[in-house]
Amino acid sequence: MIKSKFAAFLLLCLACITGANAQEQSATKTGDGKIKQPPARMLYADTLLLKEANAVDNVITINDEGNESYTFSEGQLGDDDDYAGTTAMVSSNDDYFLSEVGYLFSPMRFRVRAYESMYNNVYANGVLINDAERGQFSYGMIGGLNDATRNKEGATYLEHNRFGFSTIGGASNINMRASQYAAGNKVSLVGCNRNYLARLMYTGSTGLMQNGWAFTASASYRWANEGVIEGTFYNSLGYFLAAEKKINDKHSISIATWGSPTERAQQGAATEEAYWLAGTHYYNPNWGYQDGKKRNARVVNSFEPAVLFTWDYKINDRMQLTTSLFGKYSMYSTTALGWNGNAADPRPNYYKNLPSSAFDVWDIEYTPTEDELSDYMQLYNQWTSSKANRQLDWNYMYFANRQANAVGGECLYYVERRHNDQLALNLGSTLNIEFDKYNTGTVGLNLGSTKGMHYKTMSDLLGADKYTDIDKFSVGDFGPSSDYVQNDIDNPNRRIGVGDVFGYDYDLNVNKANLFYQHRFDKGIYHLFAGAHLEGTTMERYGHMRNGRAALFSKGSSGTAYFLGGGAKFGLIMQFDAYNTLSFGWGYENRAPIAYNSFIAPRMRNDFVQGLENENILNAEVSYSLNAGPVTAKVSGYATMFNDCVEQNAFYNDSEAQFTYLTMTAVDKVHYGLEAAVVYNITSSLSVNAVASVGNAEYRNNAKGFLISENEDVLHYENVYMKGVKVDGTPLTALSLGVDYNVSGWYLSANVNYYDRIYIDASRYARLEKVVGLPTIDATTGEEILNIPTQFKGKGGFMVDASIGKSINLRGGNRLNINLSLNNILNNQKMITGGYEQNRGDSNSQGEARVYKFSKNPYLYYANAFNAYLNIGFRF
Amino acid sequence: MKTIKYISVLALTLFTATSCMNVFDEPEFNVFPFGNNEIGEANTTIDELKTMFASTISASGVKEVTDSIIIEGVVVADDAQGNVYKQLIINDTTGAIIIGVNDVGLYSMTPVGQRIRIDCRGLHVGGYGKMAQVGGLYNGGIGRMNQYLFPQHVRLIGAPDRTQREMTPEVIDESFFTNENKDKLAKYVRLENVEITEADGTALWAPAELDPTESGIVERHIKMGKTNIVLRMSTYADFANEIIPDGKLNINGVLTRFKDYWQFVINATSDIEQIQE
Repeated sequence: MIKSKFAAFLLLCLACITGANAQEQSATKTGDGKIKQPPARMLYADTLLLKEANAVDNVITINDEGNESYTFSEGQLGDDDDYAGTTAMVSSNDDYFLSEVGYLFSPMRFRVRAYESMYNNVYANGVLINDAERGQFSYGMIGGLNDATRNKEGATYLEHNRFGFSTIGGASNINMRASQYAAGNKVSLVGCNRNYLARLMYTGSTGLMQNGWAFTASASYRWANEGVIEGTFYNSLGYFLAAEKKINDKHSISIATWGSPTERAQQGAATEEAYWLAGTHYYNPNWGYQDGKKRNARVVNSFEPAVLFTWDYKINDRMQLTTSLFGKYSMYSTTALGWNGNAADPRPNYYKNLPSSAFDVWDIEYTPTEDELSDYMQLYNQWTSSKANRQLDWNYMYFANRQANAVGGECLYYVERRHNDQLALNLGSTLNIEFDKYNTGTVGLNLGSTKGMHYKTMSDLLGADKYTDIDKFSVGDFGPSSDYVQNDIDNPNRRIGVGDVFGYDYDLNVNKANLFYQHRFDKGIYHLFAGAHLEGTTMERYGHMRNGRAALFSKGSSGTAYFLGGGAKFGLIMQFDAYNTLSFGWGYENRAPIAYNSFIAPRMRNDFVQGLENENILNAEVSYSLNAGPVTAKVSGYATMFNDCVEQNAFYNDSEAQFTYLTMTAVDKVHYGLEAAVVYNITSSLSVNAVASVGNAEYRNNAKGFLISENEDVLHYENVYMKGVKVDGTPLTALSLGVDYNVSGWYLSANVNYYDRIYIDASRYARLEKVVGLPTIDATTGEEILNIPTQFKGKGGFMVDASIGKSINLRGGNRLNINLSLNNILNNQKMITGGYEQNRGDSNSQGEARVYKFSKNPYLYYANAFNAYLNIGFRF
Repeated sequence: MKTIKYISVLALTLFTATSCMNVFDEPEFNVFPFGNNEIGEANTTIDELKTMFASTISASGVKEVTDSIIIEGVVVADDAQGNVYKQLIINDTTGAIIIGVNDVGLYSMTPVGQRIRIDCRGLHVGGYGKMAQVGGLYNGGIGRMNQYLFPQHVRLIGAPDRTQREMTPEVIDESFFTNENKDKLAKYVRLENVEITEADGTALWAPAELDPTESGIVERHIKMGKTNIVLRMSTYADFANEIIPDGKLNINGVLTRFKDYWQFVINATSDIEQIQE
């Protein structure tokens, strides 16, 4: 009986998953051939109008998920982000809101309070394991190791915890002691239609054995020969091995080592026009056919083997010392297409390949000429007549190189691999003291030393014989025989073969020390919390190449910059009675900038950003909790001010044919809002819940900008009109209404979620003083008006998720868990999760309007279409 | 113990199952992946084409080609170094002609030395400042063909080869500069023992400062006896900011005209040879 029920259940799940695939295929088919031929005139513009009228559904059939940027172009440095893993892991053991939102809103890449992920500290057995260069935790390090990293505690900024200092986004501590895993074995199998299609995972633990030893191991494999996004694949192994020896009642030592060698292909963003032409919001410009096989240009290879030693020392009943030493060597690289000399941009969605580059489709008054219309139709037909046409053409690139070989020419197209490797050694030691029945304290020290190694290598010459390491953008400015064009003057005109380092090669060395103390006082209705910390940071760039554009400032050490920071925080909780709790919190932090943003052009020069200083963060919050019978509720209000922040963008500036760094200093931002969660238990097995996060996060001032291009050594100072720009990539409004039902081993839940106010990354370049230009005078009011671009905002919408699960106890104490999650059941394919504006203005250097409107064509990522996730776990 | 056994078996299975997914072999090309491989044998020489459209060209007019006219030649100037832009110049044994294509990176498929055929039917032939060109319509005159037309109208013949007969420029002297010859341009030629007027050991080819109107062009001059030839240099050329070689030179390039002026186009700095004295 159980068997047949199970089989039926499995079939249902499979039907759901394959159903979703079938739908995807039909959508693609529509994209391939069945889009109706447009009427003669301005099809794109017409469609935009249709969209406005919400009548577009019949015209566009859309399809599935999201990631970041492309080849040698826009948003380039930002593309190292593992976009899929930036949802903050903030959790709190006592906070329903925080324990829910991380998962609940993850399809929209929700970030709590819109904080950047670097404001969230992740510890393992009490040692900080965030990446010191960029501040954030690298989720790739624990990829696929869900069981091995599930055991964790979390604390908000203003909560006491026993493991480490938490910053404004909170902190969590993963417990990796072998004895802390449940004894026994577990195998689980996942089938889904997301980045990967299948996951097999095994976790086994001996528990603490009589001889004082405990062993735990976990291994997993995640796989997709093609993920839900066309042209992507996923190939990832995960391992975790831990041993612990309880020496006596006082001492215990443990070791854990883990890693997750992963190879996966990425999705790229595209403009709405490209999505429309492809017939799907899940069009991926990153891949193309090579001899009929799909090949992706953007492949991430990552492996961050880590090892963790921990010594737990119970000094006495009131004092406990935990000391952990963590080391990792991470190897992270992303491939990208490069093109050399005067070869054409091979990206299928390069703006010149889009129909709207033929004439100004945004000007409804404008009647295109016959030639323009014919160009438009040519491009339109090119995109829509075959799928291969709107993807990369690898054969073309190979053939171009073969032609170049025939005449002894330079490689035209190649695949480069950009490496961000890192060696890190961190020590964390935490002493917990229980002074008396009212007072407890935690004192801790974290020391870390990180060497980040940044360079690129030649991944594939695509059949070419010859590649010389010079900067193609500088050739026109200085001439090919000038020293300026050399990427490494000490090795001029170096011939690059596969695997060779070229372009840039530097290290960022960061050392950090953090000393903190947290105190907790509990008496009567009062619970007081106070914490303070001191932090020292040093950073240095060390160049391994003497760059021709910065011959005197590129090789060797930049010198060391020192930053001293610290902060204090304070929280008061008043538990008036069993039902009502009111809490206040306040904190201030003075924090070193991250090394990643601290050099004006790190790929080529040693110079620190001018005016580099600590950022200041001021935070205040208040919350009220109610715990009355069937109702549990909490509402909080928060405000956080960020002052004197440093931010950097690096991108290929198409207008000026220069790779450009734009750094902003003295950036002020404010985040404020309300968070609420309520659970109403109707019966012991049925409850309804509501969760809301409504906030605002924006830039408060116009920042100071420094602009430098890789092919020159002149620094431009410009104001950047950032005031009012919203923090991007997370819904500033996220609401949820859900129901949970739980009976005889079955559990069901369903949620209706509403998201709104999702902004995309505003181009700093487009907001530069010189790009914005001089103000115009309003004819009626006489006011000066600056033509600052309006930040693109995604439309709000609903998404419905549900999950059903059953836990079955089998003979011999074995247990089977089955869970099916269905996400975005309404198959809403119009929700953007983020994106970025193009770093290019609408007029050329002579101030003439361009035909193609960059400002109206941001790159967007869409949230996953309907998807299912079936997890079957067997515990034995 | 059992656990350890499970772990080792699983680990072994996974390690053997996992292999790189991103391995690709270099493609073989049995047919050219670019161009129109259906285009048949050439039936017209470049000189015959110029003659057929002589009146249109000299009137700076334009005409659509309606007959089957297929020409064949070897590319002698491309856009590899950026001095020639959105153009190719092809040469057969009877002369050279400009092919205007509204695209960049043309040299990736049709580099100097590549033999190509152009099926002219459906394209336009005309004169831009009386200079013969195959291309498309632009503002009622001859311009570049649409980038999508080019692959439909071109066929690659063999692999690029810079030792072909058509790659050898004809050495001309001052006596060449006659009105009759002017009407037969373009011509792939070699000028021997000439000087560039502006060359002084420091002057650059085409620095942006000398182009205040941002036309993209800086004019230099070749002096050959009493004849002055305008040397059109692009500020976007890779070598725009390199020093003009001075002294006596031998220069390979394409002789063209703009209206009644002689012009000269060089493709690459390697086309210039300094004569050691």
